[in-house]
Amino acid sequence: MEEKNYAIEVKDLKVRYRCLNKISIKKSLFKLKKSNVEIFEALRGISFNVPKGEIMGIVGKNGSGKSTLLRAIAGIFAPDEGSIDLNGHTVSLLSIGVGFQKKLTGRENILLSGMLLGFSEEEIRARMSEIIEFSELGKFIDRPVRTYSSGMHSKLAFSITAILETEIMLVDEVLSVGDAKFKKKSFKKMKQLINDKDRTVVIVSHNSETLRKLCNTILWLHDGVIKMQGSTEEVLPLYEEFMS
Amino acid sequence: MKRFLADINKYREYAVYSAKSGLKAEVADSHLSWMWWILDPLLFMLVYSFVAIIVFGKGEKYFAAFVFIGLTSWRFFSATIKQSVRLVSRNSSTVSRIYMPKYILIIIQMLINCFKMLISFSLVAGTMVIYRVPLSFRMLYAIPCILVLLVVTFGFSSIVLHFGVYVDDLTNIIDVFLRLVFYLTGIFYSIEARVGGALGAGYATLLLRGNPAALVIDSMRKCLLYDMTPDLPALGLWLLAGCILSAFGVRMIYKNENSYVKIM
Repeated sequence: MEEKNYAIEVKDLKVRYRCLNKISIKKSLFKLKKSNVEIFEALRGISFNVPKGEIMGIVGKNGSGKSTLLRAIAGIFAPDEGSIDLNGHTVSLLSIGVGFQKKLTGRENILLSGMLLGFSEEEIRARMSEIIEFSELGKFIDRPVRTYSSGMHSKLAFSITAILETEIMLVDEVLSVGDAKFKKKSFKKMKQLINDKDRTVVIVSHNSETLRKLCNTILWLHDGVIKMQGSTEEVLPLYEEFMS
Repeated sequence: MKRFLADINKYREYAVYSAKSGLKAEVADSHLSWMWWILDPLLFMLVYSFVAIIVFGKGEKYFAAFVFIGLTSWRFFSATIKQSVRLVSRNSSTVSRIYMPKYILIIIQMLINCFKMLISFSLVAGTMVIYRVPLSFRMLYAIPCILVLLVVTFGFSSIVLHFGVYVDDLTNIIDVFLRLVFYLTGIFYSIEARVGGALGAGYATLLLRGNPAALVIDSMRKCLLYDMTPDLPALGLWLLAGCILSAFGVRMIYKNENSYVKIM
């Protein structure tokens, strides 16, 4: 049997959202009948593999399950059925960041985020100045994150995940970060990260131009199932035609 | 168990740093900054001592120290459990973006509360010096007492954390419940003397052994203030119960934690 070096192996993945799942004791006391829980299946049994070093784009209309898939790969959601195997690679969700504690300063948040991504304090401190410089936050880095504008917030988030590199990078909506200048810079950085042959990248985007420039293959999701998967040249024109 | 230990080791650095920054952030905006860590328990204790001594009249020997020990342990126990109810949703910005075992959040909270408890206990020590409480080797029994307190608090908190995600009004219920337990814990009075005197020693023993907070507090007082050996078998049993609760809670969190994000 041919041995393939896959970074991501997804098998028959199903992810469901349970709407109205929160219960209140007060309410359930008055309503003894079990309430009908509405279940929405965001991913309905999809399977695919991503070889190491590949750059895969995910396309699909809103609500087709793209972000759910990314989050499931990142380990934030457990599959309801099926499995996701990353074969021990480290993974991070680029661009939306790790999530900040608003009361703490940017610098403290860099350390905390880095630690959650699996880096040691020394490793993070060694790259701290690079992150701060890339984020262009200047003095604001020592102020609480709650004082940041949304642009500054996303600049910091991007810088952390871009400088602290992981083996698998998941990118949700490329180039939605910061002002025009930062966008250009982050795109350049992203390209540099992506072009690393050892890194596996999965990109979700609505921008066909970006995908055409960056990706080798495209996965087209439609209503929670794979509609098509193949090379960028093959899939993207059909997707564009479908969407227009 | 293996996974638990591996995860604790993996996220240890994060938890400690997060607790440190959390503590710093708590006082960063106030004028008196770190002074609040001392002022807060001090003022709290003054208020309760006033209530206890003036309103209830003279109580046990070394009464202020007696009340302080009770309050310090109780505040750690109840604050951690109460905070655990909404811990996941309060940290939704992190939890919805990256994976971490959710009980790490409890550990962070416990580290913060432990630090406060430590300050509070140094105030207790100060009070004991003022009272000239004689030193004794039995004071060392305070260490196993604290251990029981930590394990039991973690156990209860891990279970409450899980259900807090699903049950909207759990905060209210826990609040009321803890208030009830507060009065049953004997913070201002000795369960043995008061309950034992009024209802018989059997009830007092039941109250002490059935409520881990009361047992820990009573044991601490015995060994720190009155040179007595605490109820070691009962402490041992609660340590075991705490371990079982923790194991159960951690298992439940591992099994369900990834669906927490979908519900929030």
